[in-house]
Amino acid sequence: MTPNHRRNLANQCNALKSTGPRSVAGKWVSSQNSRKHGLNSAPDFESSLEYRVLVELIAEEGFSAFASAEIAAGLLNYRRVMDAYYDTYTSPEPVGEFLRDVNVKASIPIFRELLIPSGSEPQDVRDMAAFFASMQRQEWRKGGPVSRRSADTHKLIRYQRNGIARLSRAVRQG
Amino acid sequence: MPNESEAEFQLGLQSLLSELNNPSPLAVALVSQLNESLWWIKRHTVDKELLLHEAMARLLSKAGSYTETYDNRKVSEALERYLDGRADKDEAEWIDEVLAESKLTLSDLRVRAFKDASKHIKMVDDLIHRQHQTMRHLQRSIDSIDYKSRLIKRMDLELAALESKQSVKGVLSLDAKPS
Repeated sequence: MTPNHRRNLANQCNALKSTGPRSVAGKWVSSQNSRKHGLNSAPDFESSLEYRVLVELIAEEGFSAFASAEIAAGLLNYRRVMDAYYDTYTSPEPVGEFLRDVNVKASIPIFRELLIPSGSEPQDVRDMAAFFASMQRQEWRKGGPVSRRSADTHKLIRYQRNGIARLSRAVRQG
Repeated sequence: MPNESEAEFQLGLQSLLSELNNPSPLAVALVSQLNESLWWIKRHTVDKELLLHEAMARLLSKAGSYTETYDNRKVSEALERYLDGRADKDEAEWIDEVLAESKLTLSDLRVRAFKDASKHIKMVDDLIHRQHQTMRHLQRSIDSIDYKSRLIKRMDLELAALESKQSVKGVLSLDAKPS
């Protein structure tokens, strides 16, 4: 077996281990992936009044009917991307201030008070504190509002790249 | 956006449009996008400094015995004013105290914050780079339509000249026809 085959086989075996999100919360998060900005859905510009007006205006500049349609669609598509960019930038994922600022160590007696009477073991209290601590680490890692909006907007770079390339190609080939 | 001037944005657009002779609707649309890209570059450049401030506030609020009572927002706002020189005496003293408690000078704090925020600063650099690339695309598109309109005007003139020549020839040939 060549090293390449071995590597491919190992990759395939590892891929089988990865089955995506398992928890209900994880599945819900992944189900919302394509709904955040809506840029993965195919737009229907042709039926809009804006598109028809644009096509007419561009055609008056001496572009062919086909080129005018391409440029109008390119312009509207780019505008759609930049609107999503603006929305993402202005409304990033909010900072979980309580989770970020809570003192986990100081909260252990509270967890104990809450859990022990309902029959939980001391280990459950420790697990609860560890869970909160890991959530807090995640919250810290995401940073403040500026870090969040930068990270969220960064995800739209590829849409912007494709949008401007489409518009520029349509204009220059027209 | 809050704290930003719409008039300033419009002024930028008008000054770009004034560079074009008799701009067509398509040129106006492309120049508007160009102006927006310029605005985003300015916005993201401000964000780079804000990211540093955010990381500095985070480091301060985690530092020393202050951890027990930290309030990230309070530190962040006080630090913002301190760095801008707008902090009052009490606030400045408080920030100095927290800095002393965490055994850091302001420049040490800045260096550590830069290290902590480097991942996000790199992201903002990518965003700025993307806007530069977008501006190049838009400039090439504007160039191309400007060339196209000049070409159409020249062709119009040539066509008009040819037509007038043709009509003169037509008149002459009609005149030359024996009656």
